Amino acid sequence: MKIVVCLKQVPTTTAEKRYTADLRLDRAAAEAVINPLDEYAIEQALRLQESGAVDAVGFLSMGPAPAAEALRRALAMGGDDATLVSDPALAGADAWATARVLAAALDRLAPDVALMGMASDDARGSLVPGAVAALRGMPLLSYGSELRIDGSVARVRRLTAAGFDIVEAPLPVVASVTDQVGEPRYASLKGIMAAKRKPMETWSLADLGLSADDLHGAALTRVVEARRPEAKAPTERVENMSADDAVTRIADWLSAKKLI
Amino acid sequence: MGKDVAFLAEFSDGSPSRSALELAAGAAQLARQSGGSAVALAYGLGAAGAAILGAAGATRAIVLSDRASPAIVNAAAAAAAVRAVAPLALLAPATSNGRDLAAALVGLLGLPAFGPVRAVTIEGGRVRTEQATLQGTVITVSEPSEGAPQPAVVLLLASTFNPIEGGTGSAAVAAAPASEADAFSAAVIVESHPADAAVANLEEASIIVAGGRGVGSADGFAPLHELAAALGGAVGASRAAADAGWVPYQLQIGQTGKVVKPALYVGCGISGAIQHRVGMQTAENVLAINKDPDAPIGEFADLFVVGDLFTIVPKLTAEIRRRKGI
Repeated sequence: MKIVVCLKQVPTTTAEKRYTADLRLDRAAAEAVINPLDEYAIEQALRLQESGAVDAVGFLSMGPAPAAEALRRALAMGGDDATLVSDPALAGADAWATARVLAAALDRLAPDVALMGMASDDARGSLVPGAVAALRGMPLLSYGSELRIDGSVARVRRLTAAGFDIVEAPLPVVASVTDQVGEPRYASLKGIMAAKRKPMETWSLADLGLSADDLHGAALTRVVEARRPEAKAPTERVENMSADDAVTRIADWLSAKKLI
Repeated sequence: MGKDVAFLAEFSDGSPSRSALELAAGAAQLARQSGGSAVALAYGLGAAGAAILGAAGATRAIVLSDRASPAIVNAAAAAAAVRAVAPLALLAPATSNGRDLAAALVGLLGLPAFGPVRAVTIEGGRVRTEQATLQGTVITVSEPSEGAPQPAVVLLLASTFNPIEGGTGSAAVAAAPASEADAFSAAVIVESHPADAAVANLEEASIIVAGGRGVGSADGFAPLHELAAALGGAVGASRAAADAGWVPYQLQIGQTGKVVKPALYVGCGISGAIQHRVGMQTAENVLAINKDPDAPIGEFADLFVVGDLFTIVPKLTAEIRRRKGI
């Protein structure tokens, strides 16, 4: 039983972001980390391995060469091996192209569960898991607050509008989990040392039998403009005032905005 | 080249969801720009009655299924319907179900995808979307690349469009073209657990009173519920409050919870971390009450009140009741 966790290297949440002249995120300019929501998928996979439900945990990422650093950090948390798909033709890949490449790589790795975080911190479309499942012709178990594997089936606990469902599908599946699976572990010093000896392969598009033409130049979408958001009106601060005066000020503000 | 604008219309318990009504209005507006019609792709329990979406803005409706199931099991029928209609754009709600079904279509049909977007227009037959990316630090305008397949799939956050009020008419309803069963149907709901108590749908609330770590306990939410009732709004929460078990996760606002766009957001004891901020930063008016004068929420609230929420909130509730005469 094998899980492959797909992860994305993203700029740190608080980093200053810049776009290059051709309107792509200047990833070289920002400090990069494992997408924080992917760390929950890593944690879920490692817990399943520790419980004995899973034998092997691999990691898969698509990105420029420095994304190998994110895979190495994942290996420091645990797991067995990692694969990086890296190719200059993939710069600026959109959701569809990313899914196409990950699906091709997963077809080769052939895990029982391809596991992902619920969204990436930078794009937040949450489209890749469903698109990968469609491309691979597999069931999707999405937004799990817990993933379980029981014999030949996988199950997720999934939040609904008013409660939760248990959704089940026969293996192999594509699955995604939320930040409710449990806090991701920190890499130990021992883990960091061990990660250096774990195998990591790098594949090009050609290794996957794909060409830039197959990917429509890496994207079906293009950014035509990038700008700073409109400046907000300055905050009005209410402090060093009695509670009664503060309440009067709030109520006057609500009235002026026609909210009461 | 298609001119129609299709949208995913989710039904539950026999009625169209709020998102279906919002997207019907949005599709109607975009169809006027493209010179086509708004076409609903309806699924979920009650979808056979999709004719009523005519009053919401749809000209036609194609029924994918009429049963309660994960939305993604409709992927093959939706793909067949998209091929038959050949729309210029397909609007999908940025909900778990809407994203899954949209993602399946992106994979099955190889489509350009956008969003979640904060605005979408069609100019000269070209779909243009505006998106806040990287935690809202950058606004990007995107469009399908030259020669990309149609439709453009556009994810829309709740409240991007307002439902049409007092509309009349009915949509022409057709069944989806025949499609083969696919692997998505193999995922089935084997257990369904309702919540202990009714849970508000935050995406429908025009006023939200949200509580965070500073509320301190489940009981601490009582004054927030009273303020919400006086304002005619609903109660929400930060992840810290949901993780602590003070409120159900359905009330969580933020990156991994709901993204809301109310007319008024009141944050009580919420610091305003970036993960929460991305869930409420498009609120029209933001009032924050926090005893920490350095809380990050003080940097982006419209009105920032430094003080004890347990003193201020009950007094504010009383004052609002007095002014409203309730």
